[in-house]
Amino acid sequence: MSSFMPHALHKTALILFPAFDWCISPNHPEREERLLYTRDQLIEEGLEDVENILFFNPELATFHDINRVHLSVPSAEKLLTESHLISAGGTLRAARAVMEKEAEKAFAIVRPPGHHAMQTVFGDRGFCVINIEAIMVEYIRRHYGVRKIAIVDTDCHHGDGTQDIFYNDPDTLFISLHQDGRTLYPGSGFLHESGGPAAEGYTINLPLPPNTCDEGFDMVMERVVMPILDEFEPELIINSAGQDNHYTDPITNMNFTAQGYARLNRLLNPDICVLEGGYSIEGALPYTNLGIILAMAGMDFSQVREPDYDPSRFTQPPEMTKYIEALCSKALGVFAGRGSRRAEAQQRRIVTNQKNIFYDTTGFHVQERTSYHLCPKCPGYSEIKATGHNRHIHAYTVPFNACRGCQGEAKDMFQKGKPESGTIIALQDRIEDIYETK
Amino acid sequence: MIIGIDVGGTHADGVLLDGDTLVAKHKVSVAQQHLSDVIITLLQHLVPGDRSTLQRIHLSSTLCTNAIVTGALDPVGMLLQAGPGMNPDFFAKSCPTWFLDGAIDHRGQILRDPDPGKIDAAALAMRREGINSIGIVTKFSHRNNRHEQQVAAQLVGRFAHVSLGHRISGLPNFPRRVYSTWLNAALASQFSLFKNALEEGLAHLGITCPCHVLKADGGTIPFSRACEFPCESVHSGPSASVMGCLALAAQTDDAILLDIGGTTTDIALLVDGAPLLEPYGVNVAGRPTLIRALKTTSIGLGGDSRVAWHNGTFRIGPERQGTSMAEGGTAPTPTDAMVVLGKLAVGSQQQAAMAMLALCPKESPEYTATLLLESFVEHIRLAVEAMIEEVFARPVYTVAALLHRRRIQPKRIVAIGGPAAALQSFLGQALFLPCTVPANYEVANAIGAARARLTVQASLYADTGDGRLSIPELSCLETISSRYSMPDAEKRLKGAVSMMVAEMGMKSCPEIDFLERLEMNVVRGFATSGKILTLKAQIRPGLTTI
Ligand SMILES: [Zn+2]
Ligand SMILES: [Zn+2]
Repeated sequence: MSSFMPHALHKTALILFPAFDWCISPNHPEREERLLYTRDQLIEEGLEDVENILFFNPELATFHDINRVHLSVPSAEKLLTESHLISAGGTLRAARAVMEKEAEKAFAIVRPPGHHAMQTVFGDRGFCVINIEAIMVEYIRRHYGVRKIAIVDTDCHHGDGTQDIFYNDPDTLFISLHQDGRTLYPGSGFLHESGGPAAEGYTINLPLPPNTCDEGFDMVMERVVMPILDEFEPELIINSAGQDNHYTDPITNMNFTAQGYARLNRLLNPDICVLEGGYSIEGALPYTNLGIILAMAGMDFSQVREPDYDPSRFTQPPEMTKYIEALCSKALGVFAGRGSRRAEAQQRRIVTNQKNIFYDTTGFHVQERTSYHLCPKCPGYSEIKATGHNRHIHAYTVPFNACRGCQGEAKDMFQKGKPESGTIIALQDRIEDIYETK
Repeated sequence: MIIGIDVGGTHADGVLLDGDTLVAKHKVSVAQQHLSDVIITLLQHLVPGDRSTLQRIHLSSTLCTNAIVTGALDPVGMLLQAGPGMNPDFFAKSCPTWFLDGAIDHRGQILRDPDPGKIDAAALAMRREGINSIGIVTKFSHRNNRHEQQVAAQLVGRFAHVSLGHRISGLPNFPRRVYSTWLNAALASQFSLFKNALEEGLAHLGITCPCHVLKADGGTIPFSRACEFPCESVHSGPSASVMGCLALAAQTDDAILLDIGGTTTDIALLVDGAPLLEPYGVNVAGRPTLIRALKTTSIGLGGDSRVAWHNGTFRIGPERQGTSMAEGGTAPTPTDAMVVLGKLAVGSQQQAAMAMLALCPKESPEYTATLLLESFVEHIRLAVEAMIEEVFARPVYTVAALLHRRRIQPKRIVAIGGPAAALQSFLGQALFLPCTVPANYEVANAIGAARARLTVQASLYADTGDGRLSIPELSCLETISSRYSMPDAEKRLKGAVSMMVAEMGMKSCPEIDFLERLEMNVVRGFATSGKILTLKAQIRPGLTTI
């Protein structure tokens, strides 16, 4: 615009959509007010006039975009409001900005978040109904033919939904940094959760002790995340940029700062960021979001500081540093051993996992059984049976990277399935991009 | 009777209106003359006799533009409190800048006061550099102006002119607030010299009626207020043109307004008949500002633009090389095409035909001329489309707003300017819209200035949790009860706007619009601790009712 405004080194698109007229319930952390102060800070900074920073409105995701990823019970149409389609649509707009080179990088600052939403969806879990990153990832694969994608989840809570969706996909590297599941919702995200039989070692969990400081995050980034990314060589890096690791967050117990978040993003250098959690809406979000934006854009973030920031307040005890060091080596071990048990699993042809998924917002359980039908040529297809709320789904999912044989087999299985009342029989074929139910 | 004067780059036009009837018009050259002399000359011609029936003089001038172009701005020192955020060093590129410590946050809460010692040191340094006009701006001063006021109080009497950021605009956007404040401070003495010269001239002519200045938003303010806020008088030319179009061809639907000149075409849009505003403000001297302005786009395309034939298409403008060949110029121009087609009667028909042959030697001049004008209006069509898309893409923040966005759908074109009549049928065909070219369009700007009415805007921010209310435009910071509500806010802001209107000497206050109503519960620890209310009020740009 002019030499009187700073300019961003990397052209960065912001999809800032605070949805001031939407909430889960008036006093819920996910309420209208959540991004008010962030919006106010970003606008007052004058980011709209910074050269090479672009603001886009979200678009609405379609049910087709949702059904490419999720198995919704009773249906996406019944579960979702326009707000969910806009939040997901915000990530799609971010993806389009980057893939069509309108910008080098994009940040979808949208709500509600999505990383606790699993492949099957029966309702709201951990403030999430649909997984907005996963919807974006499969959209990118569908429309732009990208194969290898890395998702680094820096929300304080374990990204259990994203993990679930990509668990058996060796082309999606999922790394989650979070507060140890023994001390925080959703209670998962341990080292041994390392991927399905065809993608073992492609899910890396880094459960950090409560009160981990900038130092601990820096260590994990430098010792684990960056080296693994270098080796995986993704075509695209996505940051699930939750901001509830902040020292002021009311529902978590970490000691991460705005400077820390900005530094993390400078190092990670993601192509796309998607806001996840973060509920210190006044004391953290305006600063962490600004820090992340400036880092993405390649601008100076040295003056982004919380009003009560005092670097001397947070020093990590040496025992904690040692603990994190040990965690780093174990995590590197997980990635180094990737694929080592694949041949053994393949001999079994079908590997079945059981799990119980708790929907905390309304309080009910879903029993789920996933059978991975393995194949020597591809990750295979999966068969999912889930029951909750007296509803059943029996679905076959063909991943984008499945072979023709597996695709045909899943289709046959679906066609043979007999419709029965109370059960949805579904075929989700990401190669043909179809979602069928009966 | 109202006089409207529009001073342009080369000429100044004046009109005398009785209601909406054009009683007299006059044109003078502005070369080498003082602006005040130009205006006085026009007034003498427009009202040679009894001047006691004059109600008002409305003036759209290039004073500020000239001051910027000729470098006649006052040296300004800026005192800024940037608080946490983007590195503010870039401000120093604009003018000498001193940074204060302390901060105010996004809710207008004071985090830390600035150090008075630093303020004093900055003031001393400014005096040493010969700076006598200063601007004081803090981040979030639209939420809380206390620090700006404190700094001003500490420096009272030490500088000839002090501009405070929150007084200039109640909108957010710190860099824009800084640059608006800078511009205001930089224009202070130029404007006051102009005011003195003009007042002297008016007194000499025995004119005692009030004098108003046209603003970039298509409204006017009295001279007295313009003296305090000279930055508001910038960029009034395009708004004069828009208001002129409205006065000559009023619309009730969405419409496109075109002012086609010799070197540029200015485009503006009407939404339901009202001119569209910029979301923040106009760019001046390369700086984005919060000076409220009509949304206009200027493209380098006019009747005298130089035309070249290149790779099977016409390259029109953006530069100009003298006049058309028909009028003795050396390069082909769109004007030549208009002459060839008999749409414009200037210069030599033969020379114009030569121009077309110079472009495409193998085609008939009529054919080339038609093709050229089709290409000319196609450029306009594309620019209009881009502008409509840009307006549609403006950020919105609520689900309702996103779902109910409406794309502007023009129903008519109103075109003014020298080549407008010649292009009328081409425009209509290219945009599939009826095209009006109103009579008297050559004095549209002066008529627009004359017919424009006063505009005012004010914004309110109330935080019932903190018990604080701010109306920055009035420097108002009050205590409110925890039960303060949106109806209270509307009443308060309406009162504020009516007061501003009365202070500007208007007897009746036009309709006040409320915009951007936002009411948000503040929840702390699972209980509502208060409400944040934001609201804007404006008198929208429009024509004086007769
Ligand atoms: Zn979280
Ligand atoms: Zn296969």
